[in-house]
Parts: sequence; structure tokens; C-alpha cells
Amino acid sequence: MMEAQYRAPGSVDEAVALMAGAGGKGRVLAGGTDLLVQMRAGMVAPGLIVDVKRIAEMTAISQIAGAWRVGAAVTGAEIHDHAGLKKAWPGVVEAINLIGSKQVQGRASAGGNLCNASPAADSVPALVAAGAIATVQGPNGRREVPVEQIPAGPGKTSLKPGEIVVSFTLPARPAGSGDAYLRLIPRTEMDIAVVGCGVNLTMKDGTCTAARVALGAVAPTVLLVEGAAKALVGSKLDDKAIEAAAAACRAACKPIDDKRGTIVYRTKIAGVLLKRAVAIAAERARSN
Amino acid sequence: MARVILTYSFAKQFADGQTEIELPGRTVRQLIRALEARFPALEGHLEGDIAVVIDGVVHQNALLEEVAEDSEVAFIPPIGGG
Amino acid sequence: MSEQRRYKWVGTRQNRPDGADKVTGRARFGADFNLPGELVGKVLRSPHAHAVIKSIDVSKAAALPGVKAVVTGADFPEQPDQLLPAGEMQVNLRDVTRNVMAKEKALYEGHAIAAVAATTAAVAQEALSLIKVDYEVLPHVIDVQEAMKDGAPILHPHMRTDGVKPAPEKASNIAKRLEFNKGDAAAGFGKADIVIEREFTTQPVHQGYIEPHAALASAAEDGQVQLWTTTQGHFQVRGFCCRLLNLETSQLRVTPSEIGGGFGGKTVVYLEPVAIRLSQKAGKPVKMVMSREEVFRASGPTSGGWVKVKMGAKKDGTIVAADITVALQAGAFAGSPVGPSCMCSMACYDVENIHVVGYDVVSNRPKVAAYRAPGAPISAWAVESVVDMVAQELNIDPIDLRLKNAAKQGTKTHYGPTFGVIGMVETLEAAKASPHYKSKVKPGYARGVAAGFWFNVGADSSAAAHVGEDGSVTIISGNPDIGGSRASLALMAAEELGIDYKKVRPIVADTASIGFNFVTGGSRVTFATGLAVVNATRDMIGQLKQRAAKLWEVDVDAVVWEDGEARPSSTNVGKFEPLSLAKLAASASRTGGPINGHAQLNAQGAGPGFGVHIVDLKVDPDTGICTIDRYTAVQDVGTAIHPSYVEGQLQGGAAQGIGWALNEEYIYDAKGRLLNPGFLDYRMPVASDLPMIETVLVEVPNPAHPYGVRGVGEVPIIPPMAAIGSAIARATGVRMVDLPISPPRLSAALDAATPRMAAE
Repeated sequence: MMEAQYRAPGSVDEAVALMAGAGGKGRVLAGGTDLLVQMRAGMVAPGLIVDVKRIAEMTAISQIAGAWRVGAAVTGAEIHDHAGLKKAWPGVVEAINLIGSKQVQGRASAGGNLCNASPAADSVPALVAAGAIATVQGPNGRREVPVEQIPAGPGKTSLKPGEIVVSFTLPARPAGSGDAYLRLIPRTEMDIAVVGCGVNLTMKDGTCTAARVALGAVAPTVLLVEGAAKALVGSKLDDKAIEAAAAACRAACKPIDDKRGTIVYRTKIAGVLLKRAVAIAAERARSN
Repeated sequence: MARVILTYSFAKQFADGQTEIELPGRTVRQLIRALEARFPALEGHLEGDIAVVIDGVVHQNALLEEVAEDSEVAFIPPIGGG
Repeated sequence: MSEQRRYKWVGTRQNRPDGADKVTGRARFGADFNLPGELVGKVLRSPHAHAVIKSIDVSKAAALPGVKAVVTGADFPEQPDQLLPAGEMQVNLRDVTRNVMAKEKALYEGHAIAAVAATTAAVAQEALSLIKVDYEVLPHVIDVQEAMKDGAPILHPHMRTDGVKPAPEKASNIAKRLEFNKGDAAAGFGKADIVIEREFTTQPVHQGYIEPHAALASAAEDGQVQLWTTTQGHFQVRGFCCRLLNLETSQLRVTPSEIGGGFGGKTVVYLEPVAIRLSQKAGKPVKMVMSREEVFRASGPTSGGWVKVKMGAKKDGTIVAADITVALQAGAFAGSPVGPSCMCSMACYDVENIHVVGYDVVSNRPKVAAYRAPGAPISAWAVESVVDMVAQELNIDPIDLRLKNAAKQGTKTHYGPTFGVIGMVETLEAAKASPHYKSKVKPGYARGVAAGFWFNVGADSSAAAHVGEDGSVTIISGNPDIGGSRASLALMAAEELGIDYKKVRPIVADTASIGFNFVTGGSRVTFATGLAVVNATRDMIGQLKQRAAKLWEVDVDAVVWEDGEARPSSTNVGKFEPLSLAKLAASASRTGGPINGHAQLNAQGAGPGFGVHIVDLKVDPDTGICTIDRYTAVQDVGTAIHPSYVEGQLQGGAAQGIGWALNEEYIYDAKGRLLNPGFLDYRMPVASDLPMIETVLVEVPNPAHPYGVRGVGEVPIIPPMAAIGSAIARATGVRMVDLPISPPRLSAALDAATPRMAAE
């Protein structure tokens, strides 16, 4: 491991100042489940590590007027144990809880998962489907960014130098809403997603009134599939509408052949997961 | 006389295709000598890389192992374990 | 399970003696040994799958401050191109030295080209980057069928196919051709009512041990060398290193560490000769540890293979003929397990006409190393799949079909010998009577069955038994413990002595402290080393009886040993208080000196093993993912000395076979470089993938062992692939022939079989 300076600031302002002053050699440390692995593999050599786990705003879960605010550094394990968040956003929670493994969950965070910017990140399609907004703070102050605008390519984000993702806000939504996230991996654990699909729906009197669909691991960044949402909205989620949404997902895929899946397989699975995720989200929507 | 058995390709290569041969000998080494006497091309090829099955029991490095009057002695490729 | 407990200790489930150390982290594995002043050794590996090494310039690396030694192929003496004994293996040392450190050519990506020893890892890493190698990159070939074709890139220009008459003139990648024959297969097919013919392939798979290779070597100025290493056979390591470096065996003392898995992959050397050579040059100890990536790129996995099977059967289920061709990759140097693969292929069955041809083929990948029943799982994948196809076509239960054709005492094999007493029928019947097989298959699930055979070996072992002044006993042997053998050896010694198991301490001694022991492998240790331990203990008991006889002034024949003490054999001998082990040990010096037993032997009579596996699984037709619901491994195990460890061997072999069937494979790019050298993308089963694997232990005691022991470790990896393939065939109607049956492959095959669904 390389020599690196370590700081643990108590506020976001401090953290931003440290990052901005590090000349591009600063890295944020939340759970470290990507950072430490990359350091040991010799892939990154930060000059400064900024530990954000002492910052209250980044490690808290709170509810404000029906919206949920989740600190970017909250661990998957804490999210797993949060009954209220789980009830409101089961899809987001199950997606975050798929990161890594049981042991990794004790440290991993949604903020880290997003900013590591793997095309196969598990939490991102669910957050995008949820319409989550990221609160970002940098040297030029705070801004709110839809989560789907943060990943810019494999390993790259749209964040400016010195910027940190502080928290995610999951918007309030009407009764009759439900979300779900599914991913396909060859084994039952420990694999990078071959395809991930997040679905968020609102139902009223048997008709879908709102929908968001996101796909992961089938393109350089997460895909918000508007064509799939359009096919679902206004329908009764009948077979024809769902098949049209699945077709839209298959068409939106830009996957590659690699050691984790083939183009043919990923494209097919995008449609399969869409159907299954819609069924779960709809079931949850109906019982809300 | 012991009944000596060779595998098909080994017999084709070194023993004029004879896979079953009756030979005198009370140890494996004696049988090998008798084989080499009958098939000179065979000399040296039963020394290292081979396992011996005497009456159904596999032996490794069995040069001086005794064989009975009517034993079946089969020479087979070596068996490595893992 | 035995019908009645005949033994007090053998057959019980005691805590293993190494358990406390292992669960607390105290156990010392290969990388846990350190010496003051030790240097870090690192290896420079070829980035090319096939290349001529035109020159190596190490001058800049050697001049880097902190670098104490650099070695290349030139530092390892040339070796003769013939099979010679090293340890107790017959090896071509010319090939072995080149696998350890390349000479003329780089033959696979990851091939060791040079190595350095430096004061820190960072300096060593930098030194590697300063070594300049001039490669002439050559076309490469990896796939076994591709390597056999005319016009394939040739790895060894001097290689001519052995076993072909007349001897060929052209160079080939086919090192050897074998042929086995029984009866007349061609005529036999004429008697068949059905004939099934299929080709199968497998990909290379790694043994997947959790602990990477590691070694610490310390060479002294007077020529003595000490070596600590993780290995399945430290005497074998000594043999290899002495041959490769021209050392006398008594000059090299090898201490084995605890081992985190081997499965056959640690019966050869990689780092050890390099660490020794670096230490000799540097005058300091050198420690080398492989990264996981290096383990995948540079240590021998098992072969990938191609197998063609043609089988004919009569309507009543009698298999009348089989014709099989097996081609196995050997990796960069000759020596795949194609022999055993051919021999095991039909060993489970008594068939009149069998013809088998095998090819040993080199290709640009690491030289294969043994992996649990080497070669057998590959031919079994093909043959057992076809047997199941016969069962399906004839509508006969797959176990009944195998019973009808089962090998038994008196069956003549296609490779020559006639079977003595074997347990194939008993194992099949136990499978048929098992709770699993008797249960109904759940709706949506399907069931597969397959069988397997392995020889098991005996070979050389040495053991000693010492007793301390307080009567506690040390059992000394020389086999690294990879499956609970220490516990089993202690159980047998305790049984012989009639003392508490907890008073018997088993240890694994280094090469200088005990006589020769062949490797821990071949399912041999509980059998062969167990035999040596029993004999050593009996030797000690003989001496104890003599001491008692001396003390009582009676004939030694008048003394018996029972329940841990010497007793007069009858009241006629006289009135003598029994003498316990502790009493006799305490007075040993006064009665003649220390009491130590020892024994050494080349254990013959290792009995073969048969296994039958049953799996229930379901296939998700949309994703191609298989979920295993229930799995049972049935095997004839002789006597289960420690039932938990026997069950563990069955479960472990099954888990490895399942991984081999469903997800494990080496993925190469177009340049022959490995794309998945890590456990993330080399997918072995994780705990949540598998149900608890049930076991049925059929105890048919082996008469050649005092406790009836039969080797068990290797058989269990043989049946799983075909059992799974058959369950999938019965679930989906699609018979997969290429491994692994990964989700993308199964999904594509299912779509191809039902084109309407795929178009959706």
C-alpha cells in the first residue's frame, strides 16, 4: 500500500475543503470496500484519504414530509435494519443490500457504489428508478443532481474536482406506489451483475399512472429507459403492455460480450428481469 | 505360469500385438525379464512409467512383488492421484 | 454406518487435533513463516502465450539498490530428456525445470521468465520492471482439438507422437497416443438395438485451493538448505528441488506448513526451486508468495478435454459395445492424465466390447497438475451422460440400467486386469435405497444420476510412535494433513493402544525427522500412512510387552496388551498387577531404554472406490440458471475412521464437480491471455449455491487394511457433472454436451431448441 495522508473531518464543509486542496489526489473513504481493494491492487495511489464517517449529515437516515433522506455514507447493514425505509422503498433497499456480500454490507455505502461508477453497480438502477436526487457539495457550494446524471462512464463520474455526494433524497410519492430491483448473476452471491433492473410504479384503480425503469450492466452507464415507462403508464399492466416495456428494454441495451455475459444473453435477460420486476413492484404497489 | 497382460497400444508397439502372454516368473521383475527376452523391443519400457495390477490389486513400484503360480499380472499406464 | 460399534475410537467423531489452531488463526500456513533478514522474491512472468526468448537483460535490475539476487533459466542446470524418478514420481526433468523457469521459450502467459530477491516488495516489483526480455512472439494454440490439427502452431519442434507405428517424422502437439481394447467393438455394435453417439467437451478448471503457493528458503554457505512450503508432499518437493539444483537429499530439509487446500495442485513445485536458487545467490533467506492472479496464470489446472462416445445397447438394457476417444490438454509440456481417463471411462461396467483411444496433447497453457482423480471426471462426463441417454431411450431407470451392467468380481476391464472384490453393486443398491432416491421428484424439478470409479493408491509411508514419561503418546508421520488425516491416524493409534484419543498427539514431521512419505494424494493417507501408524503402534506395543515381561520375569508370550495396559495372559502366569502405559514409560530407562515404535512400508492393496450421485434440480427456462434442491453422494468407503471427515470428502468433491459442471472455466482473449484470473470471475460455488450435500457411506471393508480402510478423497468429484447434465436433460429435453453449463450457454441452447420462445 502506498503512503497516504488520512483525515476524518466532522463536517461536509471541512471534507470539501480537504478534497479541493488535495490537487486531485484526494479520495473519499466511506466504507472503503472499493477504495481499499483498488489501493491494494495498485490501481490507485491517493495522496489524501478523507474519511467521511464522522460527518453526521452523511451517515444519517431521516424522513421529511414523506421524502426520505439517506446519507451517502450510511452502510448497507444499517439500511437493511431500517424498518421505515425498507417499508417505503423496498426496491432501493434490496438493491443496496446486494452490494458485495454480508461482510461487505457492514461497510459498503450507496454513495460509494454510485461514485465508483461501475456500469454494473447494484444500487444505481434502483435509485434511478426511484427518481432519487443526489445532494452534491463542492467548492462552489451545493447542488441537487438526479442520480442518473452522475455516472459518466465506466469508473468516471460527472462530479467536479472537490465535489462530494452528501446524501440521496427519495421523493415522496402517492399511495399505491411500489418499487423493486432484480439482478441476474450466475451464482447466488458474490458475482458482478450481468443485468440489473429497477422498476418504480404508481397504480391507481388498477391502472399504472407513473413509472420509471432503469437498467444496469447493459451499457457504459445506467440507462433510464423512458420507452419502457411509456409502455407501462396508462395500461393495466396487461401482458401486451409488459411485453412492450420488455421490448423497449431489450432495444435500449448496449451490452458487450465479456467474461460475465454475452450480448445475446444480456439483451434477453433485460426483458426477462423487466417483467419480473414489474410484477413485484406492482404487487407492492397494490398493497400500499 | 503367470498370465501377463499388456494394454493394446503397448502390445502393438513392443510385443507384436500380443496382449496376453503366459510367462514363468515368481516376482514382477522375473516376469519383466521374461517379457524382455521374448520381445527385445520392450526392454526399458516397463521400468518407470507403469503400474502393475496383480490379481486385481494395483501396485506402484512393485519390482520385487511376488506373484503366485497362476497370477494375473497386468501392466497399465501409471496412476497419478490428486 | 456400521451395524454395530466394534471399535471404541475408530468410527467416532472426535475434535481434530489441528482444529483449535485453525479456527483461532494460530495455524501457520505457507506464508506465515519468517526469518530475520529475509528477502522478498518475485517472479517476472511472460505476457505472451507463445514466444521465443531471444535474450534477457537483467543488468539494470541487478544494479537496483536493494536487489540481492536475480535468476533466469540459465541459473538452473540442464536436465536430461527422459523419465527419471524425482521423489517417487517419474518425471521428465527437462520439462520440469523449464516449467519452473523458462529456457528457450515462453510457453504460456504467466510462464516464469526470471525472478529477483530484494529487501522489500516494492524494490522487488521495481526490479522486475527493469528486466528487459526480447521476445519473438509466435502464434499460439490453446484448445485441445485446435492443437491436434495439422498446421497448428507447434510448441516443441522435437515432439513426435509416441505410441504410433511407424514412428512419425513430423513434429506434433500430440505427445502420445494410447489404445485399449476388449473384444470387438465394431462387431458389437452390430448386436445393438440402439446406438448413441455424441461428442463432449470440458474446459480447463483450477483446483481452486484457497491458499496460494508460498515458500521460504534459506540456503547456507556450507550447502545446507532449509525450506518451508505449503505442499501436499514435502518429500516430493525435496526430490524435485534436489534434482533440479543438484543437491543431495540430506542437504535439503523441507518443512511442510499447514495447507489451505491442494486437491492435487500442490504435488509439484513452482516457487520452491526458485526461492532456493535466489537464496543461494543472495546468501539470505528468500520468501515468495503467489498472488491469486499468479496462481491462476501460472499454476497447473487440470486438462480441458474432448471426448467422443459411441455406445450400443440391446432393448433389455445390456450395453453391448462402447467406442471412446479422449483427447486431453497437457498444457505446455507432455503429461496429461489421459491414461487414467481412458481406463476409468468404462471401469464401472462389465461390457463385452470396449475400444478406447486417448491422446495427450500440449497447448499454450500452464502445465496441468493433478486434480482429484485426474482425468476420470472428464471421461465420466461423457460416458455417464451417454449411459443416461441409453436409459432415457430405453425407458429404463438409470440406476437399474447401471445395475444390469455393473462391474463385479471377475469382470475383465478393457485395460487388462480382472477385478477382485469391488463395491459397485453395493453402491448402486445403496443409492437406490437412499432416502433421496426413494423420495418423489418435486414438481418443476428433475433428477439425474451418475457413477464414477477411481483406483486409489497405496505407496510409501513411514511412521513412528513415541511415548512420553507420563504415558501420553506422539504419533509421527510425514503427510501434510489436507482432509483430517491427523485425527484418523490418532484414532487408529488410540484404538490399538486402548488409550484415550486425547492422549495421542499426531504430528507431521519434516523430511529430516521421519522416513520417506509419498505425497498426500491419490486417496492414500488414511490407508497407507494409517497402515504405517498401526504397524508403528504395534511395534511399540511389542516393546511394552517385552518390558512388562522383563519386570515380571516371565516369557513375553505370557503378556497381553489390553485397554492401555500390559496384563498377564492368564492367571496361570502369576499374580501381577497390570502395568499401564504411563508406568512402563516412567520406568523405560531402567528397563532397557526409550520405548519407540516405528514402521515403514510400500502399502499395497489399496482398494478402488465407486461413487453414485443423485441430484434434483430445476432450470429457470428464461435465464438458464440451475438451482440444485437436493444432492446425495453415495460411495463405498471401506471403514469410515472419522465419519465427519469422510463425509467432508464426499461433500467437497461434489461441490467441486458441481462448479466444474455449472460455471468454472478459463476465459482467454485472442492473444491467449487469461481474462479471469480471480475468484470473482472464475466462478466456484459459494455456500448459498448448494444445499447441504447428503452422504451415504457404504462400508465394504478393504481386507488389505487392519481397519478396512479404503481411500475416499477422489471418487466424489467424478459423478457430479454427468449427474447434473442428466438432470438438466430430463428437466428441459436438451442434452448439454459442453461444459460449463453456464446460464448464457444453457439459455442459448434452450432457445435454439424452441425457436418460437426465442423470438419473443
